[in-house]
Amino acid sequence: MSTRLRDVALIWAIPILLGIALATGLMWLRTSDSRAAVEEAATGPVQRWTKVAVDLPTSQTLFPPGNGAAIANAQCLICHSAGMVFRQPPLTQDEWAGEINKMRNSFGAPLPADQVEVLAKYLHSIDGSQSPGGRSVLDGQGS
Amino acid sequence: MQRSTDGPSDLGSQPSRRRFLARVGGIGLTGLLGASAWDAMAATLAQLPFANGRRELVTNFPQKGAVLLQRTRPPLLETPFEVFDQGVFTPNDRFYVRWHLANIPNVVDPATFRLNIRGHVRQPISLTLDDLVRDFKPFEIAAVNQCSGNSRGFFSPRVPGGQWANGGMGNARWQGVRLKDVVDRAGVKAGALHVRFNGLDAGVMPQTPDFMKSVTIDHARDGEVMIAYAMNGESLPLLNGFPLRLVVPGWYATYWVKMLNDIQVLDKPDDNFWTTKAYLIPDTPFANIVPGQTGVKMVPINRMLPRSFFTNVQDGAALKGGQTTTVRGIAFGGDTGLAKVLFSADSGGRWQETRLGPDHGKYSFRQWEVPLHLSSPGPHKLMIKALNAAGIAQPDHANWNGAGFMRNVIESVSVHAA
Repeated sequence: MSTRLRDVALIWAIPILLGIALATGLMWLRTSDSRAAVEEAATGPVQRWTKVAVDLPTSQTLFPPGNGAAIANAQCLICHSAGMVFRQPPLTQDEWAGEINKMRNSFGAPLPADQVEVLAKYLHSIDGSQSPGGRSVLDGQGS
Repeated sequence: MQRSTDGPSDLGSQPSRRRFLARVGGIGLTGLLGASAWDAMAATLAQLPFANGRRELVTNFPQKGAVLLQRTRPPLLETPFEVFDQGVFTPNDRFYVRWHLANIPNVVDPATFRLNIRGHVRQPISLTLDDLVRDFKPFEIAAVNQCSGNSRGFFSPRVPGGQWANGGMGNARWQGVRLKDVVDRAGVKAGALHVRFNGLDAGVMPQTPDFMKSVTIDHARDGEVMIAYAMNGESLPLLNGFPLRLVVPGWYATYWVKMLNDIQVLDKPDDNFWTTKAYLIPDTPFANIVPGQTGVKMVPINRMLPRSFFTNVQDGAALKGGQTTTVRGIAFGGDTGLAKVLFSADSGGRWQETRLGPDHGKYSFRQWEVPLHLSSPGPHKLMIKALNAAGIAQPDHANWNGAGFMRNVIESVSVHAA
């Protein structure tokens, strides 16, 4: 029951916080000072610069249980949310090893070499292979 | 917490559209891979038309309306395709979003922001946003911004990366100043080769290569490449690069560096990771190779190719036979204007020219439309093909490369006349 209450509270808190942020932003727009208005008259259309402050959503999603999930949670989530992995097409274990090594060699993931195999096996077991997408092909570029 | 989509009513009334978006209650969805409050908020699901293509339509990103969630962090957000039926300019709050590195400033203060121009110049300069607006001649251009990997999800065989459908693109009126005017203010020295662009974003790990892109000095000074401080008449949304974004008309969006704060003129080729190791394509027509092909010369991705899309008819739609329907969509020429957009109602047997809407410049989307009269009941395959002013036509067969870049095959939809 308490988790349910928490969920409900969160669901209501989010739009309220968004509303407060929006109202604050509108206030900024209204308080553009008279000096800016004078400059606008002198130089034509002026871009009104106001400070922008936003909150970016975070992902709480963890990798599903399995041998290698702890490594995935500790390593992959440093740089990106888990959804990127779940939305990939099916990859073979070797292809996942290639992706993991790209993260290590090109992007600095602090993943020990001796964890690559177990993580690749795990990612292969949980990736998009539930769908009949067929084989995919790995390029290995950094993009 | 349900929130309806903003699709136009003419699309919303079609049965196929109802199939496309399955509206479901929020809480029940979340069990699969770990629930969160954000998941619970997402009340609408979309099924992109490829395997593992289920995506949430979310509204929780700042300054953004309903967009398809490809990745929360760093954000990867797709424009729902029905937005492209509403006009040739993509609203800022529906414009797709793509970041490489997760360390994105969430506060940008114009009072302290500076754009630095340095390197192989006579006098390095540091400009405030007001300097840019006041001291340089305003420039505006309408241009399509398209992710190199737009439509990657349709690649067959599939390739890893952001699994976009066709909404990894958008078209805007970009307002700002010419890059040429800005680098010339600093004074480009003889021997300059490239100009490299960096933004405020950074990797989480110090070892992660900072995201930078470069173009040749001649390209930088061509009078079209620009620094935008507004899109569609408003400040850029933070996720589209507030306060400044490089605009490279006709070139893929990887070059359009967001939150641009550093411009470095180089007197030697740019050797940074993102130029030399990433965003490479086979140096072949349409960047096309056979899966598994090796030994191909790779070059940095560059100019866009022509594309065209249906926007008011979806695959699987039921159309009334015996009466005339207007079929419409959008097209663009890539790195040059459109010559014509051709339509076929018989799987590519005969092609007819479509009527083009207003021309907003050679880099912009342009609307096309054609009257369609399906006299015989049953299935029909409609196809649309753009030809650009350089004589390049969309290919009959999908191009393929291992990074999933530059898809531009002729689009088709299967409809049923009843």
